Formats: sequence, C-alpha cells, structure tokens
Amino acid sequence: MTLALLASTFVTVFLAELGDKTQLAIVSISGTSTRPGAVFAGSSAALVLASLLGAAAGGSLSAVIPTNALQLAASVGFLVIGVQLIRRSGKLESADQLAD
Amino acid sequence: MSSELEPKSERELAGELEVELERDAGLASAELEELASPNHAGSWGAAFASTFTTVFLAELGDKTQLAALLLSAESGRPGVVFIGASLALICSSLVGVLLGRWLARLMAPQQLERLAGILMVALGLWLGRQAVLGLVPATPDLPLN
Repeated sequence: MTLALLASTFVTVFLAELGDKTQLAIVSISGTSTRPGAVFAGSSAALVLASLLGAAAGGSLSAVIPTNALQLAASVGFLVIGVQLIRRSGKLESADQLAD
Repeated sequence: MSSELEPKSERELAGELEVELERDAGLASAELEELASPNHAGSWGAAFASTFTTVFLAELGDKTQLAALLLSAESGRPGVVFIGASLALICSSLVGVLLGRWLARLMAPQQLERLAGILMVALGLWLGRQAVLGLVPATPDLPLN
C-alpha cells in the first residue's frame, strides 16, 4: 500500500517534470559547467526545498512570500547568464580562428 | 643523408606547431576563467550555490500542483507522497545533469554554449512573462473603470 502510493507519486511527478523549464535550465547549466556533482546537488536541494515550502504554505506560497517578484528576479538572472554564454561562445570561436 | 634529415625537420615543425596550439588553447582557457560567470565558478560551493539559487527561484511558485498533491486528503499520508515526489525531483535533476554532460561530450564547447545561452534567454523571457502576468493580474475591463 505504502509502496504503491510511493510509486504512483514518483511516476506522476517524474513525468510532470520531464522537459520542464527547470530541467532545461539544469541541462544548460550542467552542459556548460565543469562540476556536474555540484550542479546535481544544488538542483536537487532546490527542487526538494521549493516543493517542501510550497506544501508547508498550504499551496498558497504567494501569500507568504512575493513569488512573482522573485521569479521576475530569476528571469533577469537567466537573461544575464544566457547573454554571457552567447558572448563567450563568440569569443571562443574567434580564439579558435586565431589558432587556425 | 638529406632524406634522413627531412623527416626529422618535419617532425620538429610539427612539434613546434603543437606547442603553439597548446599555448593558444592555454590562453583561451585562461580567458575563460577570467570571464567566469555564475555557472562557471571555480569552486564546488560556488557551483552549488549558483545552481541552487537559479533552480530555487525558477521553481518557486511553480509547485502548486505538487502542493495540491501533498495536501490531498485522498491518500491521508502526506509523508509518503512527499518522499515519492522528492525522489522524482532528484531523479529528474539527475536526468538533466546527465543530458547536459552527454551534450558536452557530443558538441563543440562554443556550439553548446551558444545553444545553452539561447535556451537561457528564452527561459528568462518566458519566466519573466509569467511573473509579470502574475504581478499584473489580467483584467481586461480595467481601462474602462
């Protein structure tokens, strides 16, 4: 009974998270970082803590903390990291051309 | 005599070229270190912290479905549901990390960085749009008031 509930929850959440925006972010962070262990630990801790906070607040987390404002800040962070990566890829390419 | 010398000098040339290439590669990687962005931070702790912050802020407020699942009186065992959900989240992040490493082996670094950058910008725009829509509730009749 416990195992069945555990398994059904696992499958439901796992399938819901596949291809989620967070997983895409993890793929791009992991692909461009040299420390996959740290990326795995950091993303796992964040996901578990975010869901724990959501459950503890009774599904109304936005009433306790300004989630929308924090997400807006996160989106700015995403944009900054993205632009940095694109600029760096351009620099890498010109370094390659110098080597040729 | 000369036939013995020529291959040697060629080999020497090749060796010199290799050293030069290595030095260029060294310069490029030094430049990379200098450009260190959050997810390129050198230490384990910094990589952990930047990943944690990014994922945590992105996921915050997006866990309403999971919260509803946890609170559902249907099961009456929120602890078991939480453990199952946590295991699923950890596995999904493991899949993400492994996918990233696999792509890193498959593609040239600059290609992957450009792709990752475009993906990050797209995610940022989407996340920002969601947040703005949440901050400014959709009220089509507002201008009429």
